[in-house]
Amino acid sequence: MNRRILLSTALALPLTAGLLSVVPARAEMDINRASSFIENTGRELVATLNSDQPITARRQKVADILRQAVDVEGVGRFILGRWWRVATPAEQQEYMTLFEETLIRNLSARFGEYQGVTFSLGRSQQRTEDDALVNTVIDRPNMAAFSLDWRVGEVGGQPRVVDVIAEGTSLRLTQRSEYSAVISRNGGKVAALLDAMRRQISALAAREGR
Amino acid sequence: MSFSRRPLFSLALAALLALSACATRPPASEPEALAEYELNNDPLEPLNRGLYVVHNGIDTVLLRPAAEFYRFLIPQPIRGGVRNALGNLRSPVIFVNDVLQGSPERAATTLARFLMNSTFGVAGLFDVAEAAGLPGHTEDFGQTLAVWGLGDGPFLFIPVLGPSNPRDLAGFGVDIAADPMTWVIADGDSTAEALGWTRTGLTALDTRESLIEAIDSVNETSLDPYATLRSAYRQRRAQEIRNGGANAAPADAIGTGLGAGGSSSAPR
Repeated sequence: MNRRILLSTALALPLTAGLLSVVPARAEMDINRASSFIENTGRELVATLNSDQPITARRQKVADILRQAVDVEGVGRFILGRWWRVATPAEQQEYMTLFEETLIRNLSARFGEYQGVTFSLGRSQQRTEDDALVNTVIDRPNMAAFSLDWRVGEVGGQPRVVDVIAEGTSLRLTQRSEYSAVISRNGGKVAALLDAMRRQISALAAREGR
Repeated sequence: MSFSRRPLFSLALAALLALSACATRPPASEPEALAEYELNNDPLEPLNRGLYVVHNGIDTVLLRPAAEFYRFLIPQPIRGGVRNALGNLRSPVIFVNDVLQGSPERAATTLARFLMNSTFGVAGLFDVAEAAGLPGHTEDFGQTLAVWGLGDGPFLFIPVLGPSNPRDLAGFGVDIAADPMTWVIADGDSTAEALGWTRTGLTALDTRESLIEAIDSVNETSLDPYATLRSAYRQRRAQEIRNGGANAAPADAIGTGLGAGGSSSAPR
């Protein structure tokens, strides 16, 4: 991303933050900090999605942004839920690798669809003691705009995305349900989920290559 | 509207008789598995999964292609007008549910929207009320029952209608019965009946068209689309019932159309 944009973002932030501070920041995750974090990450992501670099370079950049911005470890463990302890250490490790890969591939396989995407901060609000919910509006050419809420928590002293909520539907809750169903329906074997994830990643990679 | 559902119910009934199996409840010695079982609240899962397969077949050969054709045939500003008009026709039902939920302000909004859009909005084709600062919202009798304290009951997957539960399914029936249009059509001549069918058909097309990307994405990315839809439906209904309360702006507040005026938010 352009340095000048970064600079003007940084300058504009205190102003934006001032406008957004409806709720007194009492909780651990400061709402202003959370929304500027989402705004910066979103700008970086949108700039990458809309850049004309080759797809591998863009995927690499998106992967870097996601690793920086998302609490991959925490979200991954949350989603595996009760099966985390059933999994062997080797399975846990492989699950984490596959989970991160799924996250990145799911986005990079859709680069074409996100061409021309823009986003803006919507209403912002505090949700729980620990987390902040930051509302954004995503706009794509020729598509109806839609609203996404980002749940931002503090992980190791840094703001990190811990969930994405679309129209009341939490991604991590839905995905936990999905993964658990795959394991349950395969006799409680975590290996079955790992197989399914591997197949999905190759399908996504094939789609990307097309 | 009510007539068009009859074949579906007989289909559902046939499947019910063919597949009357139940999901196994985990023993008390596995508290986490038991908690998940109760959270899913899907004792009829084997049957529901069978119905989901039936639904997917109907969707693949009929509903999705019809929605694609509708999108191809009717250009966007007109599709938006159709959605507005369908939402406007649902206003009386939304109004009744606003009242039954004890929300006089929301009821007043619905009434004002209906009056403005039916007149200045040319029979509801233009959402002039939204432009005037009165965005639409949706309500249905399933939500009203929830507000009154009734639980949703076991998950149900109804072919064509989609994910549901006994509460929302009963609410769906009550809304049809409470809709003045239902009675106008029932008492009317063949023209009224034709208009009724047109409305039902357009509602189905508009709803499915609005869901093309969302459902495609579930089918492409989910390792178990049935489980994903079950979880998403529950969460979405919970948000609708609390009127988006704790969460940020519902889609209709930013004009996505999904749910504006209530024409297409709940699977119906």
